[in-house]
Amino acid sequence: MAVKTMEEGKARSGGSLLGALKRYSFVLVFLAIYIVYAAVSGGLTVGATMNIFRHSAVIGIIAVGMGLICLTGDIDLSVGSMLAFVAGFSVVVFNQTQGSIPLTLLFALCLGALCGLLNGVLVGVVEMPSFIVTLATMLIFRSLSQYECQHLPSELIGNGSSVYRMSSTLPSYQAIYQFGNGRLPGGMPIVGLILLLVIIAFVYLLTSTKFGKKVYAVGSNARAARLAGISVPLMRTLVFVIAGALIGLAAFLWIAMNASSDPATTGKSYEMYAIAAVVLGGISMSGGRGKLLGVLFGAMSYTVIDKVIIALKMDSLINDTIKGVILILVILIQIMGPRLKDRFGKSKAGASE
Amino acid sequence: MELLGMRDIHKSFSGVPVLRGVSLSVQEGEVHALLGENGAGKSTLMNILTGAYACDSGAVTFAGSDITNASIKQVEDAGIAFVHQELNLFNDLLAYENIFLGQELTNRFGSLDKGKMISQANDLFTRLGVDIDPCALVDDLKPSEKQLLEISRALFRSARLLILDEPTTALNTEEVEHLFSIVRGLRKGGTSFIFISHKMPEIFELCDSYTILRNGSFIKSGRIADTTPAEATSLMVGASMEQRGSWQSRDLGDEVLRLEGYSGNGFHDVDLSVRRGEVIGLTGLKGCGSSELMQTLFGVMRPSGGVASVSGTKLHGGSIHEAMRAGVAMLPADRKENSVVPDMSLLENMCLSEQVLSARSLPISRGREEERFEHYKKLLGIKAPSADANINSLSGGNQQKVFIARWLNTDANVLLLDNPTQGIDVGAKAEIYRLILGLAEAGKTVLINTLEIPELKEVADTCYVFYEGEVVKALPHDQIDERTVMLYSTNSLATA
Repeated sequence: MAVKTMEEGKARSGGSLLGALKRYSFVLVFLAIYIVYAAVSGGLTVGATMNIFRHSAVIGIIAVGMGLICLTGDIDLSVGSMLAFVAGFSVVVFNQTQGSIPLTLLFALCLGALCGLLNGVLVGVVEMPSFIVTLATMLIFRSLSQYECQHLPSELIGNGSSVYRMSSTLPSYQAIYQFGNGRLPGGMPIVGLILLLVIIAFVYLLTSTKFGKKVYAVGSNARAARLAGISVPLMRTLVFVIAGALIGLAAFLWIAMNASSDPATTGKSYEMYAIAAVVLGGISMSGGRGKLLGVLFGAMSYTVIDKVIIALKMDSLINDTIKGVILILVILIQIMGPRLKDRFGKSKAGASE
Repeated sequence: MELLGMRDIHKSFSGVPVLRGVSLSVQEGEVHALLGENGAGKSTLMNILTGAYACDSGAVTFAGSDITNASIKQVEDAGIAFVHQELNLFNDLLAYENIFLGQELTNRFGSLDKGKMISQANDLFTRLGVDIDPCALVDDLKPSEKQLLEISRALFRSARLLILDEPTTALNTEEVEHLFSIVRGLRKGGTSFIFISHKMPEIFELCDSYTILRNGSFIKSGRIADTTPAEATSLMVGASMEQRGSWQSRDLGDEVLRLEGYSGNGFHDVDLSVRRGEVIGLTGLKGCGSSELMQTLFGVMRPSGGVASVSGTKLHGGSIHEAMRAGVAMLPADRKENSVVPDMSLLENMCLSEQVLSARSLPISRGREEERFEHYKKLLGIKAPSADANINSLSGGNQQKVFIARWLNTDANVLLLDNPTQGIDVGAKAEIYRLILGLAEAGKTVLINTLEIPELKEVADTCYVFYEGEVVKALPHDQIDERTVMLYSTNSLATA
């Protein structure tokens, strides 16, 4: 029965099957990498697969925010530094509030949103180029995070010397650590579930709400969007604020998973991974085009690459080379595919005459 | 002697035939008008000629040699130049740099010989009677100067056939005259032109011969002297154009829009009182301030003085949202730049403004929106395959109808239409006029800004003529005619 309906569907879509494949090429990329992973690790366990979600959680949530910003045609280079900045101070709040998890989460979300607001106002209202603004705040957030780590009283940062450490003596330490590293029945990590919930919420927001349509409209043609009544400065600001709050959430997950945050290394190069995940997911960097669902697959593809390298026992320093090459290959196929098809089609038509 | 011959050209896009055996023959030293409605296949034919597309079958000869499916570069080298509607100039370079781009003159050390290039450019401009400073930044040139610069560049590269695609849309009467005198001079020297335009008077003033296309088929070609505008128009449209004059006087309602001493960027001290169901035409020369008035009223720009009130409520100005809530809608000029959201479907394009007004309830009711779409599709006669089709798959006229629907969907009762029939073919124009009159009948108030006087005759109850930012005359419907409007918009009466 199920087979039949599938075949019916195929027959109906006919020529548009290729179109569907093109629209969802990010799934193919993920599957290809996943199969490589399965091959090199000699068969896959459920646990290993579920681990992909765990390791995609932080970068995935950040990439959702990046995707949102890219859809309006902007870019945010500060996400990695912002992650370190928010994570560091969230640790301080956790230590200061005697381990209040709700307060720590609230603080992380608010500080993230506030950082996003700074970016957003400069980009959306003052109309400075987002590349420049977020380049500057990338430097600022990272530096502040490192500076404060050296200058705050050491009991606030959990008696660490150069890292923000949650003090393990607090009663709720176990609870938050359990939250960051625990699994649901069935093996799904809690943080993985949160990633999925965020994706679902934002896919809904972008495809089925008026807010989502405005985001696409602003990225597609800002002038037309403005003349259709959309407040373009507000929308551009808002996406940065939302992305900021998402980074706050990611920072909370980070400290829950690691119980600490190193201001020098936390979130290092994450802006690049997030942008790569967005591009791999098929979102246009000039805005207005692409699916947020692709971001999930883009982020997970990169997580799997990490795992392949570990499985092959390769030097992890080769990691970024492989990620870079795959990014270029995927975009190359996307760009050259239609051209080759065009040329092939043309010569075939010529031969038939 | 024949310079260009295109024979029996066929072209289809993904199975849909766009050109069915079209032929075009241009003689040496003539201006040849290529006529047809939007979608008739003119652009496709020109794109095949310039090498942008390959034709499926047919042959192209130019100056005796076969250039069928040659590359863009080969066609250019053969001496064919396309002066596009969207000008292909580099705005950040100087005028002479644009002319010499790719073939700069150098001295024997390999560095640029600017002096020589500037003087050669100067010679070229003097020879053509073009008044442009070779060292001017292209961005600072007027549209007409850019057009002439592009023509000069083509001629400098010894083009023998120039394709002018609607060259007069951005020009005023005087500039059009200047362009035409240059074209005539070049024609005497043996240069040929393909002239694409929708404006019949210009065609009959300038061109020697014509070719008419309709729906991708060749209809007729011949000497301009042997035909009339009426005949050419009916050949373009197919069935003979419906007689004009669907305008009739209407009962008007209460005052809906009132302007007192309204001033802003580009216009000042405008007094206006518009009643429910009225159609007001605004016109004048390019830059006369009527378009700016509309934009200010819609909140795109801030007013500098005076009062504007809609249905008794005073507008503070400077906020599109405020204007929308007051029931004002604006269909901006330049559809592609200001209306089209290219990555979105028809449905999404149509619902955008309504969604702004109802933004407080976040979720979209897809079913309700589709209902509205079907409603407007029927009401406005939008020809579209489905609500999910991309906006760019529609013709200009149908796109414009989608944007009219965008605003009707907000329940606006004052519609500001800025040049609504720009780049729309004859048949679709007539439909838009009928639509405007129908909307007025249904109680909408319409302000239409246009430079085309026949358009005002079609729809306007009263026409306000602008001159340098001021209303110089209000003409009732009976007095709207080409001559009277021109007299006031050029302010000839004051100087006489």
